[in-house]
Amino acid sequence: MSNWKENLQKTRYVMDVVLLVSFMIVSAPQATGIMLHEWLSLLFIVPFAIHLMLHWDWIKKSYGQLFLKSPAKERFNIVWDFIIYIMMLVVFVSGFLVSVALLPAFNVNIQIQDFWSKIHHDSATLIMPMIGVHLALHWDWIITFTKKMISKRG
Amino acid sequence: MKHLAYRWKSRFVIILVVSIIISALLILLDLTEWATQINEQGFTHEAEKGKNIPSALMYILPFIKEIILICVPMFLSLLVIKAFSIIKKKKKG
Repeated sequence: MSNWKENLQKTRYVMDVVLLVSFMIVSAPQATGIMLHEWLSLLFIVPFAIHLMLHWDWIKKSYGQLFLKSPAKERFNIVWDFIIYIMMLVVFVSGFLVSVALLPAFNVNIQIQDFWSKIHHDSATLIMPMIGVHLALHWDWIITFTKKMISKRG
Repeated sequence: MKHLAYRWKSRFVIILVVSIIISALLILLDLTEWATQINEQGFTHEAEKGKNIPSALMYILPFIKEIILICVPMFLSLLVIKAFSIIKKKKKG
């Protein structure tokens, strides 16, 4: 595991674990409290952006692959990943628009609308099963790299 | 982390700009009839109604909820993927 920074797949694995754990923490405002939830959500942009940057080449070629004769699972995966990305933005945007701690800390005061509260609550709940499907689509990779990361030979 | 450091500035700027553009478009939902309707109806978070839960459970339950919401669809999807691969093999064989 010591050489994970040198290997793209292992870097992805480590950063994906960080992303999943941080996602689970920021998705539990009842446990962390609203204030911490909002500040941690701002920090969550970092592992989320890292996840996208580490899959840069895949993102670039994915659009073209949609129209090629790639397997149905691969095409579904591409569409699903883009939907998750949009959904994550919906969670972020609605979260900022219902902020009670973060935006006021920057002297930005907005009137919270019930619409954005509902959108934030519903999208944040919906994104969890979507991530479940996302994990299932990459299950073989997860299992392979979990074994590799655990094994001493790496 | 050489893989992350490689062209990270340009990649990060592209991700940021695209995300900001899509986010700005999402904010336009505010102007829809749908938004007006929900604002008129009002919205109350279900969790605010049931506050007589023991304090220890308040920290654990959200994570259990998350695990269920992630893992149940994940295992169902794995079953579907497995079923599809079996059907595919049978068709070939």
